[in-house]
Amino acid sequence: MSPSVRSRLAIVGIAAVLALVGCSTPGSDTGSGGKNTTGPIKIALVDAQSGQLSSLGAWELKGARLAVDEWNKAGGINGRQIQLDVFDDQGDPTVGTNMARKISSEGYIAMLGTAESAVTIAMAPILQQAKIPNITSGQSPGLVAQKSPFLFLNGPTSTTYDETLAKYIVDTKGIKSIAMITNNGSFGKGEHDAFLKALQARSVTPVADQVVTTDQKEFSAALTAIRQKNPAVIFLGAEEVESGLIVKQARDLGIKAIFAGAAPQGTPVFRDTAGAAAVEGTLVSTPYLSNDLNDMTRKFAAAYQSAFGEEAELHGAKAYDGAQVLLKALKASNVATGKELADAIRATKHDGLLGSFAFDETGVGIFATVIGTITNGKLVPVS
Amino acid sequence: MQIFIQTFIGGVSLGAIYALVALGFSLVYRTMGLVNFSHGNVVMIGAYIASTFYLSAKLPFALAMVIALGVTGLIGAIIERVLRPLENKDFDLMLIGTIGFGIVLEALAILIWGATGHAVRSPVPAAPLDIAGIKIRTYDLVVLAIATAATLLLMLFLQRSKRGAAMQAVAMDHEAATAVGIHVGRSNAIAFMLGAALAALAGGLVGPLLYVNPTMGGTLGIKGFAGAILGGFGSIPGAIVGGIAIGVLDSFAAGHFQGYSELVTFVVFTVIIMIRPTGVFGERTVNRA
Repeated sequence: MSPSVRSRLAIVGIAAVLALVGCSTPGSDTGSGGKNTTGPIKIALVDAQSGQLSSLGAWELKGARLAVDEWNKAGGINGRQIQLDVFDDQGDPTVGTNMARKISSEGYIAMLGTAESAVTIAMAPILQQAKIPNITSGQSPGLVAQKSPFLFLNGPTSTTYDETLAKYIVDTKGIKSIAMITNNGSFGKGEHDAFLKALQARSVTPVADQVVTTDQKEFSAALTAIRQKNPAVIFLGAEEVESGLIVKQARDLGIKAIFAGAAPQGTPVFRDTAGAAAVEGTLVSTPYLSNDLNDMTRKFAAAYQSAFGEEAELHGAKAYDGAQVLLKALKASNVATGKELADAIRATKHDGLLGSFAFDETGVGIFATVIGTITNGKLVPVS
Repeated sequence: MQIFIQTFIGGVSLGAIYALVALGFSLVYRTMGLVNFSHGNVVMIGAYIASTFYLSAKLPFALAMVIALGVTGLIGAIIERVLRPLENKDFDLMLIGTIGFGIVLEALAILIWGATGHAVRSPVPAAPLDIAGIKIRTYDLVVLAIATAATLLLMLFLQRSKRGAAMQAVAMDHEAATAVGIHVGRSNAIAFMLGAALAALAGGLVGPLLYVNPTMGGTLGIKGFAGAILGGFGSIPGAIVGGIAIGVLDSFAAGHFQGYSELVTFVVFTVIIMIRPTGVFGERTVNRA
């Protein structure tokens, strides 16, 4: 470690200690609100900008950036501009906890992100202590289990995604021959448990339940085992790229079954990794079916396209909604901070791209997904 | 039985890629005694260059591969040139230098291509062969053929050509080699260039099998390195056998231990290395900087 890095770390350390001392002073809660009434409103976006989960981080940044730019163009909040600063958590919970201390010591009043439940869960206790409201894109039920009054979700939890999916597959379609392939990361584990629970509630036992690692590239063993059971539907609980590889290799192995999954299966990354022909017919449980749902989504998609030169998708839409909720709450509360801001977020009613947000005490604001199917490479509602 | 054979085939297909990565590691190590920790990142750069020329410039896959090999070979030469003043002076700094180059390459890839990555469509669109229910991807056969050809060419170069013989001499005793007039620096540069080109070959070939993104080198590098150690670090046939062995081991571990496969793969690897520290083909340990 070079001397300059060491001294910088020392400064950050001292700043963190000072910040903690500041927080514990009685009355600092109201004091901090009055101290910073001019200059830009500082909001931190913490997400993976490097590493394996950086595609999620990149989408999330684009969605949030779009919302903030819109507000800034319209004059900001109470005449103050909104400053969105990006912090890279590398998809790593340890880095995330450092970031949580950093944003609290540097005077950010709210945080957007992360897109990875495990990182957000690691950061939650520090943010709660520092009284910094956080709107995350994670969907693991573990987020709700934190019971932090400062943690909000910008979308439904895995429970909602998978309950809707199981309802469609088992109840509507009457399919009972279902295999599962999930990874052992925080997202995959959450999907595995939520979907299995939804199946068990319908007295259905999966014909195969294969678990892979998050880093795995070769799925012949798991897929051949699934192929021998000849299921009608295979449930996928893995991130975009891994899901895509699984589907690609499954088709190469001659598996004809329909795949089904939640948020990752609705993304272009999933489709392109597997190949458009391989994902045809895939069932997706999603709160954001397409950019063509209504005027609001069309407007969002057009703005996204012109700003970033690519097609908008679910994760960007979620982050956009989350940022809108935060900015609305900031406006409604006259740029409050801490507990007051968290209460304002909870009270915010927002008609967003994903639907109508109305937060409950667990911090979840959206409780519905719909089922879409990939037809000709595009996600369309099931008929 | 069907599961067994299919698992084996799956393992060999990715194992061939690991073998190419291992080959690059071993080639540099046997010549310089140096582990090039940026090797995995060079694999990633190779994958990016090949796929970019293939997808965006619409060049034939083979031509895109050749360009990737050339560019990464140049990167290898640059890395060696920067590290050359440290040769025979500070071995640790050289190691750290290669780690630094790895980080730089990853950051460069994010700057040039973004963090998201892209999928590469298969250049061999033919349907998989079906032999009594066992599926074999045609592309896998292409990969195996190219890996075999690359190995043969490399061995021919090392054993038959004058330059190759000089590299062998440097590997055995660099002081004696210098004494008889062999340019050690040039020999090292060639090792680095060939190593980087092999990495690009692995990266370019693995693109259509996986997904090209800035962090893809991590896993491929570690598995390739493990393959090189398993086969006997510094040994050319060892790298091939070791790489394929790691691929197959990984594939079977995934089948039997599911979520714990990574753990099992490396426990088995450790046990093998404890029993036979020099690996399958290793006879001696190179130890010099």
